[in-house]
Amino acid sequence: MNSQHDEKFKAVDHIRIGFEKNGYVCSRQIATTLYLAWHLQKPILVEGPAGVGKTELAKIMAAYLGLPLIRLQCYEGLDESKALYEWKYGKQLLYTQILKDKLNDILSGAEGLNDSMARLHQFDDIFYSTYFLEPRPLLASLRQQDGSVLLIDEVDKSDQEFEAFLLEILSDFQVTVPEIGTITALSRPYVFLTSNNTREMSEAIKRRCLHLFIPFPEAKLEQQIVRVRVPGISEDLKLQLVAFIQAVREMDLKKAPSVSETIDWARVLVLLHSSRLEPAVVRETLNVFLKFEEDIESVRENMPELMAKVKKAI
Amino acid sequence: MEQVLLDFIRALRQSGVRISVAETMDAVNAARITGYSDREILRNTLGATLAKSRREEEIFEACFDRFFDADDYPDMDGENIPSLLEEGEKQTAPLTQMILSGDMASLATSLRDAGDRANVKNISFFTQKSLFGRRILQAMGVEDLIRDIKRLSGSGNEEDRQAAEYLRQAKDVLNERVRDFVEKQYSLFAKNVTDELLERFLRDTKLSNVEERDFRRMHALIRKMVKRLNDVHSRRKKTARRGLLDLKKTLRANVAYHGLIVYPKWKTKKINRPDIVAICDISRSVEKVVRFFLLFLYSLNDSLAKVRSFVFCSNLVQVSHVFENYRVEEALDRILKGKDLDLMLSSTDYGRSFMDFKDQWLDRVTQKTTIMILGDARNNFGNARTEILKLLQERSKRIVWLNPEPRSFWGTGDSEMKRYLPYCFLARECSTVNHIQRTVDYMLRTRN
Repeated sequence: MNSQHDEKFKAVDHIRIGFEKNGYVCSRQIATTLYLAWHLQKPILVEGPAGVGKTELAKIMAAYLGLPLIRLQCYEGLDESKALYEWKYGKQLLYTQILKDKLNDILSGAEGLNDSMARLHQFDDIFYSTYFLEPRPLLASLRQQDGSVLLIDEVDKSDQEFEAFLLEILSDFQVTVPEIGTITALSRPYVFLTSNNTREMSEAIKRRCLHLFIPFPEAKLEQQIVRVRVPGISEDLKLQLVAFIQAVREMDLKKAPSVSETIDWARVLVLLHSSRLEPAVVRETLNVFLKFEEDIESVRENMPELMAKVKKAI
Repeated sequence: MEQVLLDFIRALRQSGVRISVAETMDAVNAARITGYSDREILRNTLGATLAKSRREEEIFEACFDRFFDADDYPDMDGENIPSLLEEGEKQTAPLTQMILSGDMASLATSLRDAGDRANVKNISFFTQKSLFGRRILQAMGVEDLIRDIKRLSGSGNEEDRQAAEYLRQAKDVLNERVRDFVEKQYSLFAKNVTDELLERFLRDTKLSNVEERDFRRMHALIRKMVKRLNDVHSRRKKTARRGLLDLKKTLRANVAYHGLIVYPKWKTKKINRPDIVAICDISRSVEKVVRFFLLFLYSLNDSLAKVRSFVFCSNLVQVSHVFENYRVEEALDRILKGKDLDLMLSSTDYGRSFMDFKDQWLDRVTQKTTIMILGDARNNFGNARTEILKLLQERSKRIVWLNPEPRSFWGTGDSEMKRYLPYCFLARECSTVNHIQRTVDYMLRTRN
């Protein structure tokens, strides 16, 4: 991270406004954490239910800073060679061939074995140099001249070994390639780790990160989000829609609708030219924000109560 | 201000949040950056650096509210009497002066200082509250104040008597203030010490002796235990099968070297997560422990992969779906009352229940399955059907029996435990939470 962006991290509310311009409405808590992460130069571990904008947060941060976003999607079995670097084997082979052809030229005039070996040794290091290094996301982000936003997505899906391997990067922003040495970040990346809580992260990793839990937003915040993300929406519809979603979240569902689903639904309703929440339209579009048949069924059954709640909330 | 922060961290630690030294330093640095002026920002700042999971965040919120009370020191109610102030300055104690001049800030500081001198942070039982209250009052110099009151009320001057009356009122307010202070300190620093003691005690209490009122706590305890077991054992481990070359992997890894084998790759074997069938006796003879057994099964079902649960009394039914669909209290209630279950709640029949299991579920038992039986093996002198247990033993990986009775009772009266014993890989007495934990830990550890 370099100082040219310091202006953007002047104050907590400054970040909030900046993010809103980029289309992300964040709560004060989120803004404070972003602010701290910048000044303490620490990664942020973002947790929360699916679809509340964890990944989006990193994307917007990249846009806000005007830096490239480098993303590493984690999954079971992810290892060093996919996350950090790999040697360009093909190229290495090609160079070996060339060297073989040129062997006579190089060795001509050499006297004795020692001399020949000395000449050959000059080419040793070439094969394991940065020329032949294929950078994967982690290394790529360390080598960005102006810094970058590094998103390590769904880190809970990776293995425990990989988590341990991340420690070096997260605390010192450097990696060690045995053949070359330690590569330190040219400019510290702004790191986000996201987790869906399929398993508890290790203490070591938590200790190195700031922790941010993004819950489902409150009604007021959600209204703002809808306003920013779906500009064409009418005021009435926005209020009703958010109240409806909030009421649905209180039900005992398999999967409660999250922010991204609220936005989807708002877009759908705008496309259908609704200006108010009509029961008939709601019934037909439930599948936009509910992903299980049982859920749709139980919401359908409770429609009158939900609509009554909506009326009360406004 | 840093000292306050450290005190806060100490209170958090005692509430069960794990905070390392590095995190403490982060918190101090972070608070320096954001400042202490805005309460909300301070809360978010400390939250991001100290609380690292959802559970910890909840504890943090509660603790923060208790510690950084919004109106810490409201004004004492007495209006400031200027005439008394002049009077007071003559030869009165510092405490009297503070009260008379209405200097609330230094009074508050003095209270905190006195608290420090009285070591109120070491308070650990509620019975110590009045003791610490007295100590703090002493440290603030309340004795001098009493002497002043006496002296002033004894004098003939009307103004002095007024002052004495005012001071007496102020003293009562002060008493109350100190009591509040101690109460707050107690809730911050001590509550969890006693919680911990109680928990330790509960772990070794016989399950049958745990009272109804501790049930919730017990539930939390069992959940914690299962979570721990799950953390330790849920990961699929790999063991190397020594000396077996994995040809496919080796070729792939060595393409870069012209197919010359530079890095040989070896075969590994994945060990699957445990596959458990739990069978629990819910008859009257085990009435007292059955809630805890069910609680245990519920928690297992909740977090450990692949557990199939059955309960039996006169016959046997599967209850996994009950555990999955209802919250813990309701699930337990449903099972114990046999609601919506095809369960007969007359006398215990191990033979029939094993028969039921064999008829309906035997095909689900594989060489990888561990069968866990929770029960006292008291069969009302019915047919024990040991041959079925033998069959189960052959089909499964092993049978583990957890019996709430002590070993010396096994085989006495109508207990068939001795006859079942030969088919069990492991049979243990299991009457406290610690017993359960040890057994399950052992069972999961020796799964190969």
